Amino acid sequence: MMPVAEARARRNAGRLTLIGRLLRLDWALVLLIGAIAGVGFLMLYSVAGGDLDPWSGRQMTRFGAGLVIMLIVAMIDIRFWKWASPLAYLVALGLLVAVEIAGETGMGATRWIALGPIQLQPSELMKIAIVLALARYYTWLSQDLVSHPLWLVPPLIMILLPMVLVLKQPDLGTALMIAMSGAVVLFLAGVSLWYFIFAAAAAGGAVWVVMASRGTEWQLLKDYQYRRILTFLDPEQDPLGAGYHITQSKIAMGSGGFSGRGFMQGTQSRLNFLPEKHTDFIFTTLSEEFGFVGSASLLGLYVLVMAFCFVSMARNRDRFGSLITGGLAATFFFFWAINMAMVMGLVPVVGVPLPLVSYGGSAMMVLLIAFGLIQSAHIHRK
Amino acid sequence: MTDIAATPQRRQASPKNRTGRATARPRDDWRLMLIVAVFMLCYGAVAVRMGAMAISEPEEPRLAGYGGAEPVRGEIVDRNGALIAANLPAWSLYAHPAELKDPLATAQELAGIFPDMSEAELVRLLTSRNDFVWVRRPITPRQKAAVQDLGRPGLFFGARDMRFYPAGQAAAHIVGGVRAQSEGVRHAELVGSGGIERYFDERLRDPARAGDALRLSIDLGAQQAMREVLSAEVSRLGAKGATGIIMNVRTGEIVTMVSLPDFDPNARPSAADGKGAANPRFNRAVQGVYELGSVFKVLTAAMALELGIVTPETMVETGSAVVIGRNAIRDMHRMPETLSVTDIVVRSSNTGTTRLALKIGAERMRGFLDRLGMFDPVPVEISEAARARPLKPPRWSEISTATISFGHGLSVSPLHLSAAFATLANGGQKVVPSLIRGGNQPGERIFSERTSREMMAILREVVSRGTGRRTNVEGYEVGGKTGTADKPRQDGRGYEKDKVIATFAAVFPTSAPAYVAVISLDEPVDRSGPRPIREASRTAVPATAEAIRRIAPLLGLRPKGGRVAAELKVAPVSVASN
Repeated sequence: MMPVAEARARRNAGRLTLIGRLLRLDWALVLLIGAIAGVGFLMLYSVAGGDLDPWSGRQMTRFGAGLVIMLIVAMIDIRFWKWASPLAYLVALGLLVAVEIAGETGMGATRWIALGPIQLQPSELMKIAIVLALARYYTWLSQDLVSHPLWLVPPLIMILLPMVLVLKQPDLGTALMIAMSGAVVLFLAGVSLWYFIFAAAAAGGAVWVVMASRGTEWQLLKDYQYRRILTFLDPEQDPLGAGYHITQSKIAMGSGGFSGRGFMQGTQSRLNFLPEKHTDFIFTTLSEEFGFVGSASLLGLYVLVMAFCFVSMARNRDRFGSLITGGLAATFFFFWAINMAMVMGLVPVVGVPLPLVSYGGSAMMVLLIAFGLIQSAHIHRK
Repeated sequence: MTDIAATPQRRQASPKNRTGRATARPRDDWRLMLIVAVFMLCYGAVAVRMGAMAISEPEEPRLAGYGGAEPVRGEIVDRNGALIAANLPAWSLYAHPAELKDPLATAQELAGIFPDMSEAELVRLLTSRNDFVWVRRPITPRQKAAVQDLGRPGLFFGARDMRFYPAGQAAAHIVGGVRAQSEGVRHAELVGSGGIERYFDERLRDPARAGDALRLSIDLGAQQAMREVLSAEVSRLGAKGATGIIMNVRTGEIVTMVSLPDFDPNARPSAADGKGAANPRFNRAVQGVYELGSVFKVLTAAMALELGIVTPETMVETGSAVVIGRNAIRDMHRMPETLSVTDIVVRSSNTGTTRLALKIGAERMRGFLDRLGMFDPVPVEISEAARARPLKPPRWSEISTATISFGHGLSVSPLHLSAAFATLANGGQKVVPSLIRGGNQPGERIFSERTSREMMAILREVVSRGTGRRTNVEGYEVGGKTGTADKPRQDGRGYEKDKVIATFAAVFPTSAPAYVAVISLDEPVDRSGPRPIREASRTAVPATAEAIRRIAPLLGLRPKGGRVAAELKVAPVSVASN
């Protein structure tokens, strides 16, 4: 560590040397991220039947590239990111619109836009951009006006616009994440708690009214729509259809027991009972092969990452830096939470990967850029 | 540490600069704590859930069990209770193409399991952009096991009933078939697509009657025998097709009804497999409306007897042609100057029959034919029957009366003919054919018992000394009448020179009529002799003889006289007691 006085002096001067910035980097967080990604490599190696090909090797390459990008993002002054925030939001929004017009359909949903050889998911970019843009908005907005209803309209539009576009793709998981990450930034920025209570109550009330109207004269939805909702809520009603994934993943997790079947010994995932075993459902392989010990350890790693983020946030007096740290940490959390709930059968399968572990470049890149921004906020904190 | 030192400053600075933008509080600490608490709660909940899963009994891998595709379609049995249509639990195979990891390899492997599906077709299915595609339905448990052994993701099974026809082709045209309707992953409703299955669809689908089988009038053993006899005759005579009906003369119960070519109802052909009679689904017994030729002379003679115009012994001129307008009706072979009514039928004289018809007159003849049901579809219980309408002349001229009297100008199905013969045989009461055990009650009286008796004697003579000699099966007192009709040309201009429909309509035993048998062959040629023979006497007649020889014992008819009993290897004791 640099002497406190010198560091403060340099910070006040507004520029740190590259070495200084590297030293101020939260290396423990980098290590944690590496450990989580390492679990992913291991599991991808296992589900491929003990082979780096086709998933594990490529995932390592991606992680390496992502790590470099993360460091570059971290080295750039947070003030640049603050300046670039509205731009990032507009670019992401524009890409979402472009996907709507010219997107290629992959896996039954239009999510991708082809930029030469690179397939890009603008909805992933939006997960970061929404946090940046809202943080920028609340940095600009006077503290007195944060809870003023009129000043609440722009951020709500900023959240709803990409949400609607993403829902049209359709990608419920990402839409939920955009909404929830946005809500976390609003909450941390100081928007009155009553709005959140009101919003939650209104949503709950709307659901209640719709469900209660079933079978009455003023029934709001068609019968088949109610049946769909019920399958959505209880996918096990249709174990061969929508509930198949979940039934199989629950079996896999149950069969892991306390210490698991052992590395590369998972039968469920090996025998192809599990779909998406290398992407969204990779957690089931982990819990089958390493049991409770393995899955609890991974959980511990995630908790530690969150802890580092929130400690960094609590110590940061820069409003923009602290808001993006909180918002992006929340994004990371929601990745994990939605994936976990999905795998455990608490919510329907919505296609959200396990952060840093599931195979796939888009989510990995987004998460590492997010950690780059968190690190940038950490390095350039006040 | 920097940050610890900074904290008090911030706490002091915040209230002071409440309105300032740059130095505003970054956020309230309680908000951060609340977020952290909520997140931690989630982590905790997941940890607890994982712990609970770890200590729970591991479930074995499974696919959802066979749930049964309710409701179960009713079974169909023959008159003795033998199964004709039953349900088997089976499976359907479907795919979520998006979840297939290697659709091309999967298609190749599936093509190995289902040899009748082409790989290209499977590739098209499995690479489709749909979320869901049916691959094949239904599949057998064995096929399901084979697909499961592939271990390919993205392939799924649904439970569904499969209609199974243990009798196979024997009763194909009678049962018809089913198709699946409103198919879901877990269940598919089977609905009749032809024959009995379609006619009785509602009754078979009625859950309240699921346990009580639909009992047909068919005797599966007799049906099998008829099919074997006809198949042998079709190949011996190189015929395009054949049909054979045996019917109870009182109740109209159809004991056998075979139509060749036939099909396997377990793999029912589609409409694409041929148009009209070229499709194996075509039921010649019901849908095949043909001009049946000289067998109609029996009806003409019966009408003349019934009207009291003649007796069997009345002599009618047969030596000269009958000229009606520009047409002259002649006999195929030279006939004596006069023949008795009996001999007109026995020797099959066109001129004699025409002279009877002209005495009957168009009006009365139409009345008889109408009451016999010759102008309407036969109301038999298969879905195809209602649309099988006889073809009658648009304008009933004198020449129509003349030609129809010997079987030309009116096209009816073999089933129409069977019903008319049954009516004549049972003492004169109208018979409505039925495929249901029990049949129908005899209807209105069309012929007197006397006419019936006299006609049976005439039919018996056709067999004992006329064109039906070859059907003189010992012991069963067969009577009947042949008919050899030229087939109309496809282009509608007159008749083919060497293509015939050869028919024999029989009643047995003539002393106490129990059954009628109608056998009809499409384009038979007997080439065993020096010249090809197409006449019914050498084609349909031997076929009927063979059918009666094999089927009559199955129907519980005991042959009269010792020779047949000896042939049947009945023990001498029972012969002695006879």
